[in-house]
This record gives sequence, structure tokens and C-alpha cells, in this order.
Amino acid sequence: MGPTAQSLVWLSEVAAASFAGGIVGSISGLGGGIVIVPVLTIFLHIPIDKAIAASIVSVIATSSGAGAVYVRDRITNIRIAMFLELFTAAGALVGAGLLAGHIRPRLLDVLFALVLLFSLFPVFAKFGEELPQKVQNDRLASLLKLNSAYFDKRLNQRVAYNVAGVPVAMFIMLAAGLISGLLGIGAGVVKVLAQEIAMKLPTKVSTATSNFMIGVTAAAGAGVYLRRGWVLPYLVVPVAVAVVLGAWLGTLLMERMSNKLIRKIFALALAVIGVQMLLRGLGVGQ
Amino acid sequence: MSVVDSQTPPQRHPLPIEDASAWILRGGVICSAAVMLMGIIFSFVHGRTSLDRMKSDGFDYRPAVIWQGILRGHGKSIIEAGIYLLLLTPILRVAASAVLFALEERDWLYTIITLTVLLLTLAGLLWLG
Repeated sequence: MGPTAQSLVWLSEVAAASFAGGIVGSISGLGGGIVIVPVLTIFLHIPIDKAIAASIVSVIATSSGAGAVYVRDRITNIRIAMFLELFTAAGALVGAGLLAGHIRPRLLDVLFALVLLFSLFPVFAKFGEELPQKVQNDRLASLLKLNSAYFDKRLNQRVAYNVAGVPVAMFIMLAAGLISGLLGIGAGVVKVLAQEIAMKLPTKVSTATSNFMIGVTAAAGAGVYLRRGWVLPYLVVPVAVAVVLGAWLGTLLMERMSNKLIRKIFALALAVIGVQMLLRGLGVGQ
Repeated sequence: MSVVDSQTPPQRHPLPIEDASAWILRGGVICSAAVMLMGIIFSFVHGRTSLDRMKSDGFDYRPAVIWQGILRGHGKSIIEAGIYLLLLTPILRVAASAVLFALEERDWLYTIITLTVLLLTLAGLLWLG
């Protein structure tokens, strides 16, 4: 095989794996990055630090695509997003700027696997409520005018909501940013949990707002990766483009299926990958 | 410019920030994807595409170097410009929000919050890396 053909094959393999990762990430609700990194390292043997660097750039693309739709439909709470981005962006700078590059690949495997397995919990157990009742604004929420309303298409009514637990959410967002900067993922599950459990936001608002925040979080971390030359441009293109297309197709498929069982099957497949990654990190069975 | 009625909570009417954000996010992703794919095509046209190079060539963040590369038609430099475009997409969204919070909403608290977020997102790229 000539050098050009070899390169084309490699680009196609990365694109195919990322496309599949985008579909799985979108149907399972976990997002692209957390699926892409294990797929690239386990199936295509790309070093985990290179996979993480490519992933954090591609996360900007997936989050921006989905973020645009929710914000246009007026579901995203821009004030909550703006305020909490202070903490996710600061956390991402710490994760990417201070921690990444000092952690051995094996430990990255273990950390990544733990975050992946933790992220699967919400697929199987429902946290928070679709429409929380009797929530009081806390002091910060009042000061920052975080309470708002959105139009729920399924209920066909306007839903007004208050916001609680802002200080706890600030702390969790700092952690979400740190995980994002260190592991190259959006850490959307952590953001959603903070917003549903601590802040008691309606499910749709927390999903939309979390998605909107991911792009800024990832951009803060990705800046560090770019400047340090950790990002491989030829790896980013097939990953970013294919993951966006895969996520888009996954959303279309979801609308047609609306079957919770399929989501759980995908999540189980991810659990297997997570365990495999954990074992590799721990040096078991190699 | 809208006059904000002090009796009405500011979020209850449609914000132009939302429309501006949606446009910037969608436009940025489409433009950067187009530029990156063009970079791949140029790489193959110029034959600078050995697999070893693809697996090892790192991002060169210096805008002047990227610009020189683009002028010479180097695929890698075009891809790097596309990656910059992608990175700047959410940053531009934050910058636009800061302007709109100041001019449309006259909400100084959120203008300051948004400017701080802007500074944080740029910090990695400009100083910390």
C-alpha cells in the first residue's frame, strides 16, 4: 500500500470510529467525548493523551451544534450558563493547565474509566424531577436573577421555575470543569446532575443549559492543549467532523425510537468499555 | 434598543442574545468544518501526507506561522486555521453576549460576569499554555 493510501485508510478508520462514537454518545445521552476517547485508544491504539487532546477540540463542535438548537428554542437559561461558566472555565484551566501532562497514561485510563462508569448511573436511575415543585430561590439565585420560564412543547404550556442550591452547584461546576480539562470531555453528566439535584432545575432546562456551557468549558481547556502543541491536527479533523455527524444522526434516530431500552443497551456496551479501560489502567490481564 | 420595564423580569421577553448565540454557534461549526476538510484536500494535493507525519505533527499555535503556511497552500496550516475557528466559536459567543448584556439589557452585573468568562476562556490560549 502506498503512503497516500495508508494515510487515507487511517483517516477513514478514525472517522468511522468517531462517527459510531457520536451516534452512541448521543443516543446514550453521555455526549461525544466520553465515548470517543476509549474508542480511539482501545480500537485504534491511539495514545490516550493524543485522544484526549483531539476529543476536547471535537467537544466544542458537538456542544455548539446541539447548543444552537436549544438556545433558539428558548429552553437554555443564559444567565445560569453565564454565571456557572465562571466556575467550569476556571476548573478547566486548572485541569488542563496544571494537572494534564503530569499524570501518567495508566492513571488517566483509571480516572477516565471511573468517570465513564459514574456517568452511566443516570441512564439507569432517574435523578431530579421533570418539573420540580415548590422550589424557593436561594439568595444568590435572587441576586443573580436566575429564575426564569420556558415553553414546554410536550406539555404545551409555559413552565416557570425557581432556582435553589447555587453555592453547591458552583462547587460541583468547578469539579466538572477540572474533569473536562483533564480528560478532554464535556463532563455534561456532572453538569446536569448539579443542575437537577442541587439547583432543582426542570430536566429540559438543565440538559439545554449544560450543553450550552460545555463549549465554553472545552474552549478554555482546549486553548491550553493547542498552545502546548498537544493537539494533532490530522487526528482532529476526522474526529470532530465525524462525531458531529454521528451525534446529529443519533438525535434523529432517538426521535424515531424513543425507546428507553435501546438507551440502556448502549449504556451497557459503554460499561463494558469502561471496565476494559479500568483493567488496562490497573494493568490486569495484559 | 429596547427600553427595559423595571416591573418585568428581564428574561420573560425574547433576548437577542439567544438568537445571536444560535447563529454564532451554528455558523462557526459549519465554517470550521469546511475549512478543516479543505485542509485535508490540500494535504493530499501537495502529497504531504505520510502516515507517520499525520500521527506526530503537532499543532503550531503561532498565527504568523499558520498564515505563512496558508499562503503556501499547506494543508496542515489550513487545518490549524479551521481548528482556531472552532475554538473561537464559543469565545465569540461569550464576547457577543457581553456586548448585548451591556447595550441591550444594560445589565452591568452580567456584563462583568460575561467579561470574566471571556478572560478565562482566552487565558489558556494566550498565557497558560
